[in-house]
Amino acid sequence: MTEQEMRDLFREMRDEPVPADSLARVRARLANRAPRRHWWILVPAAAVALSIVSVVMFRPAPPPIPGPVIVAKTAPPPVKIAPVQIPPRPKRARPKPVAAVPVSMIRIETPDPEVVILLVN
Amino acid sequence: MLEAALMGEIPRETAGSFDQVVRQREAQVLRTAFRILGNWADAEDVAQEVFLRLHRHGIGFANNGAAGAWLYRVTVNLCVDRARAKRPSQEILEVPSRERSAEASVLLEEKKRLLMAALAMLPVKERAAVVLREIEGLSTAEVAEALGSSEVTVRSQISKALVRLRGILNREEV
Repeated sequence: MTEQEMRDLFREMRDEPVPADSLARVRARLANRAPRRHWWILVPAAAVALSIVSVVMFRPAPPPIPGPVIVAKTAPPPVKIAPVQIPPRPKRARPKPVAAVPVSMIRIETPDPEVVILLVN
Repeated sequence: MLEAALMGEIPRETAGSFDQVVRQREAQVLRTAFRILGNWADAEDVAQEVFLRLHRHGIGFANNGAAGAWLYRVTVNLCVDRARAKRPSQEILEVPSRERSAEASVLLEEKKRLLMAALAMLPVKERAAVVLREIEGLSTAEVAEALGSSEVTVRSQISKALVRLRGILNREEV
């Protein structure tokens, strides 16, 4: 058998019908094991969910739980801090003015009129 | 397309459309499983498992292409697992013998039977590649996606498979 013959035979097999009894068996097994999801199955589940929600939403409010006692905390009075006393800076003693001493000066004139010798004290 | 279906980009399925998918695809799944496994009993088991998985996971499909691709992939995977679990001799036993096929009135049917018998002797991955490409008529890319391999691998598998089939059939004819 050539490759082309094989390909032709394969192509013919493509459209071969599946045995009806095989299909029927598969359908029957699926019907048993894969039950349909009917909408009415959801009704009881929805009712239960609704009742739970309503119980949660409309239940009486619980008695108020006493809250924690709040102790008023007052801040302690501020500590009075005595103002810092800055001692006055001692005044620097001013130097006493020197008593005026009488200045004695001797003027010696030289022969050169441009030159004069002064002798102080 | 297959990737989109597998990545969960497809909307969820409803019970009504599950039945629809089963009706539309049961023949495809059964036929593919039968071609790979070589007997209807195993093919039925596989088909059942494929559709139960579909139901359990609630997989929806954007279009027919996505449904077909997903179903091919799951079918092939289940067939490969089942074929590997069985001994090769068991598969061959279920293929009609030459004596029985000789009784057939049509030569074409005889040849088909021989070809199917030869196909059953191939390694399961090669067999699946041939079934999807040559019988189901998928493209090489689609076969590669269904088998989870590359296009190059698929081409190689089909080429090898055809050579082996020819060898088996020629031996039979001697």
